[in-house]
Amino acid sequence: MGPYFADDAASLVSDALVGVARAHADLLTLQAEHGYLRARHPAPARRVAVVSGGGAGHEPLHTGFVGTGMLDAACPGRVFASPHNRQIYEASLAVAGSAGVLHVVKNYTGDRINFGIAAERLAHRGVPCARVLVDDDLATESADIAAGRRGTGGTVLIEKILGAAADTGMGLDELAALGTTLTASCRTLAVASAAHTAPTTGAPAFAVPEGAVEYGVGIHGERADHAIQVAGIGSLVEQMTHELLYALAPPAGAQMIVLVNGLGAVTQLELYGIFDALARHLEARGCEVARNLVGNYVTALDMRGFSLTLLVVDDPQTLRYYDAPVRTAVLHW
Amino acid sequence: MTSTSFGATFTSDWMRRFAASVTATEDELTRLDQQVGDGDFGVNLSVGVQAALRRLPDKPGPQDEAAAPLEAAASAFLDEIGGTSGPLFGLLLQSLATAAAEAGPALTTPALAAGAASGLAAIQRVGEAAVGDRTLVDALAPVADALRTVPAATPPDRALLTAADAAWQGARDTVRIKARLGRSSYLGDRATGIPDPGAVGVSLLFASGVTVVPTLAPHLQEAGH
Repeated sequence: MGPYFADDAASLVSDALVGVARAHADLLTLQAEHGYLRARHPAPARRVAVVSGGGAGHEPLHTGFVGTGMLDAACPGRVFASPHNRQIYEASLAVAGSAGVLHVVKNYTGDRINFGIAAERLAHRGVPCARVLVDDDLATESADIAAGRRGTGGTVLIEKILGAAADTGMGLDELAALGTTLTASCRTLAVASAAHTAPTTGAPAFAVPEGAVEYGVGIHGERADHAIQVAGIGSLVEQMTHELLYALAPPAGAQMIVLVNGLGAVTQLELYGIFDALARHLEARGCEVARNLVGNYVTALDMRGFSLTLLVVDDPQTLRYYDAPVRTAVLHW
Repeated sequence: MTSTSFGATFTSDWMRRFAASVTATEDELTRLDQQVGDGDFGVNLSVGVQAALRRLPDKPGPQDEAAAPLEAAASAFLDEIGGTSGPLFGLLLQSLATAAAEAGPALTTPALAAGAASGLAAIQRVGEAAVGDRTLVDALAPVADALRTVPAATPPDRALLTAADAAWQGARDTVRIKARLGRSSYLGDRATGIPDPGAVGVSLLFASGVTVVPTLAPHLQEAGH
């Protein structure tokens, strides 16, 4: 056995896919030949299928969000590696609605290229396809980073809201525009006190100084560009909240959907404490926590870290979409 | 020469010559990519052409449509190669197939020009690469430019010769470019002096329209024709 409870790094993903399909057989099916999960019962009014995917290792993203009211299909790659264009193309062809397919893509070069190739193939087949590029990671906002901000925790909120909008029968261009608007109002910041265990070596992917956190880690085990010493959880959360609010510049009294997300090895006990600190800082700054999610939603294998995501609600309809019924392995209300 | 001379037999032979060229030069491609990339380009391209050979129609008749072998090769490259540069070749082949299908049963020079142009556009949309970024675009853009100026009545095999010349020149020119994208972008000046393997692969594709390329060296030396 390797460092994880699986025979090797490759079977970690393939075994899990079969297990997800077995555990949630009422919600989804596994298309084994092409390697994607597909929702069993999409809403009848849905005209545009919503398809996402990306490297494995971020579970429950995206497999846990396949079902009614959210994703029609998810295409997992190997750990931290983009899915192949064939998976995305086949999944999109299989689930495409009468008005086409919307791809929700986290901003990573490999994902952009493979979803892009799949989109070209779909166009060749006459299937309308549009893309929402999620790039919510504040830590990678820099003129020096040509690839742009990474896509991280905000993806869950955006997939939920877009899924509900798609269930109303919304068209492709309108959905893509909504996704772009949501992404513009959403930022995430992540920290870690310990790296994930590399599946191949069993060693931590990087070292973090004692008493410090890597400030601005990615979800593929990318370390941050700097580490900071942590005086206390309250001040750490305050600094992160301050930077997120500075970037988002919400209007006074803004409503927010917040996600306090564990990166894999942080306990729910800790996450609720972090959420309380976040909510207090937001309220002190005149913001309202309209909705919240607290848990492990977008992970980086077993990284000991967490991320904070703020999505500023610009339109009351956003909350109605967020509240709309959803039935997936992880989100269900 | 009747137009049916450039039906499925011609495009099928073209794809088989491309496979032979890639097989003959795989080691040279690997050595190039080991210097500027992650070294898997030769193998990836080889996997692609082997998959294409399996998918090509056995014995196309002279009346069969030119698009079919190109479409078969395209889906092989798109479906069966990992990484990104192999599938990008698939997009180029798919564009050539679409243009050929629109032109009719036989391949024409305007169809080649249209396919190269739309393939270039698709690759640029997906890869977000411009001319001068030291990618396969640096060979394909000159091909599209050259084919645009070839008279429509020119037989497509002659047009492919012109395209190949333009591609080799473009590939040779990449030796002077510092990479902005892709793996070579991490190497800075160390990549200069070596042609971009993707651009060399594009040259192999168009050169194989007329003949099997047994070795890269003569084409990569300056002076050309």
